Amino acid sequence: MKVVVVKPERCVGCLQCRFACSVAHSISGSPYAAPYEAVLSKPRIHIGLTKDKDAFPNKCRHCDPAPCEMACLPKAIFREPSSGMVLINPDRCINCGMCAMACPFGVVRYHVYSSNKTAAHKCDQCIARQKEGRVPACVEVCKVGALLFDDYNKVMDRATDEISSLVYLGIRSKEQEKGPYQSLTAYKHRLEELRRKQA
Amino acid sequence: MDAVIIGLSAAGLSCLDALLKFSPQVKVTAISEEKYSPYCRCMLTHYLGRIVREEQMIIKDISACPPNVNLLFGEKVETIDLLKKSLTLSSGKKISYDKLLIATGANAVKPDYYDEKKRTFTLRYMDDARKVEQHIKDSAVVLGGGFVGIKAAYGLLERNVKVEMIVSSPYPLSLVLDEKTARFVEKDMRDAGIVIRTQDDIAEINMKKESVAVSLKSGIEVYSDVVVVGKGVKPRVDVARKSGIKIDLGIMVNEFLETSAEGVYAAGDCCETMDVARKVPWINAIWPVAVEQGYFAALNILGANTPYAGSIGMNSLKTHSFHLISGGVLKEEEGVVLYEKHFPHLKQFRKLAVRDNVPVGMAFYNCPEDAGLYINLIKKGMPLNADPVKIVNGELSIADMLRPF
Ligand SMILES: Cc1cc2nc3c(=O)[nH]c(=O)nc-3n(C[C@H](O)[C@H](O)[C@H](O)COP(=O)(O)OP(=O)(O)OC[C@H]3O[C@@H](n4cnc5c(N)ncnc54)[C@H](O)[C@@H]3O)c2cc1C
Repeated sequence: MKVVVVKPERCVGCLQCRFACSVAHSISGSPYAAPYEAVLSKPRIHIGLTKDKDAFPNKCRHCDPAPCEMACLPKAIFREPSSGMVLINPDRCINCGMCAMACPFGVVRYHVYSSNKTAAHKCDQCIARQKEGRVPACVEVCKVGALLFDDYNKVMDRATDEISSLVYLGIRSKEQEKGPYQSLTAYKHRLEELRRKQA
Repeated sequence: MDAVIIGLSAAGLSCLDALLKFSPQVKVTAISEEKYSPYCRCMLTHYLGRIVREEQMIIKDISACPPNVNLLFGEKVETIDLLKKSLTLSSGKKISYDKLLIATGANAVKPDYYDEKKRTFTLRYMDDARKVEQHIKDSAVVLGGGFVGIKAAYGLLERNVKVEMIVSSPYPLSLVLDEKTARFVEKDMRDAGIVIRTQDDIAEINMKKESVAVSLKSGIEVYSDVVVVGKGVKPRVDVARKSGIKIDLGIMVNEFLETSAEGVYAAGDCCETMDVARKVPWINAIWPVAVEQGYFAALNILGANTPYAGSIGMNSLKTHSFHLISGGVLKEEEGVVLYEKHFPHLKQFRKLAVRDNVPVGMAFYNCPEDAGLYINLIKKGMPLNADPVKIVNGELSIADMLRPF
């Protein structure tokens, strides 16, 4: 299964993905016409700013099992069997707000779109584009490689390989006297830094 | 293996779906006392408000079930024989099982003055909603200021019914919210046009000509077409109790959702699991918890031995003018520190209860975007990696909490 992988450390906050997302989900599909449509198409990817003004792309992770799907009262949220994506049927949605409560990543919004009422709104991993053999709009437009579209297992393999090779290089031992890192990514960053110094 | 499910609502249905997902060939029988296709009970208030039609409440297409699934509607389970591993239905039919899930849910509490002849109804099953629908014209009295009462009041308002709400406590939602947060809801309800009488209760109900005359303890008399009672729920444990399964307030289960009887599981409103925020066994009678427990019960029925980590009480109340998301326990207690901040110009309010740096309760008013994160921290009992003052002040965004470095 292919997924959109987010590399927050690479994001520069240009918001192009948000524009591309809106256009991809608009009726016209054109960047010129989309802003003038009667119902404005809203982006489904959110770029948060941290207190240090770092950009953080945040979108639906299509969890399995999905907390939003479990909390959805009218079963408007469902898993599409062929692609494994978690999708929303806006016609069934009763706008009760349970999915926003359940989502650990805060990616659900409520907008008027497609059907004539307010309904839950989130990333569908461009399922329509994927059927045409194209990659999701946000990935296509991302210039800095913060959004990638790849096979889930391959992504995980690559990440573990990277870490294990760094550990194997023995750089870790030099770092032993330092306290533990808050996260794997922080550890990775420090290792990268050391490696650059060594080179 | 023969798996049998009693009750086909949130918990039962979720168990059925998960069983079929992970083991498509498993033989399952599900027994429901109700005559209808599985529907979502939480939408009964939307149905009363004519926001949804009856068929829109159906949440399972039973015609699409594979042949190894046997669904029995309109049949009640009378007894469970734990030794012979079999059930007796109201029709006299016997069904044997290898693994059993009890998902019998809960019943609405019926107070002394409950009398359908006096057009006083509870709201739990489709049949209840139909009865209310039959008698309602343009006014209603809603008793009880819990989530069901408030949802019913807003639903009825939607179809231009005059609603009067009678709440025995000083403010609505007193069992889940602290006073300050509840007052926001109360004000909004009053602004929407709902008449709320707090610290009052029903003394007597009589029929006067074509309307119901409700005499209150304070001496006031109110006239309406119907009375809808929302005074909480009571778990349905009679069948389990008769069979000898251990019961406290609800059916007692271990972390694998297995009851005191081997091979018998329980899930949903009828069962008592660990409350992560309270740290005691508790019944959190809400839809998402029932679904989650049904899912975990299915995993354990299939032998995947997956412990259920426990639940918290949580709810989302959304109307035209506000969206409140609350969870865990918000009451002042020893060791619990409350943080809150109100932004009147944004109509926003954030409140967080923290015990030993672990959040245990929250209420976010009109900021649904970051509410889910804190609900999940409470649910998993995870410590905060940030200053709670900054969180309620809105100085830290969800990006600060989620960014891995
Ligand atoms: C009006 C209303 C609004 C609500 N709104 C919300 C909301 O907004 N959010 C939320 O989270 N929750 C809400 N709830 C609560 C939610 O509906 C329940 O938590 C949920 O339905 C629990 O599911 P369950 O499967 O455990 O039990 P139930 O839904 O009670 O289902 C149990 C089923 O088992 C059947 N049964 C019982 N005994 C037997 C027997 N012996 N033999 C055969 N069948 C039997 C019953 O007929 C019933 O169909 C609301 C409830 C009501 C009534």
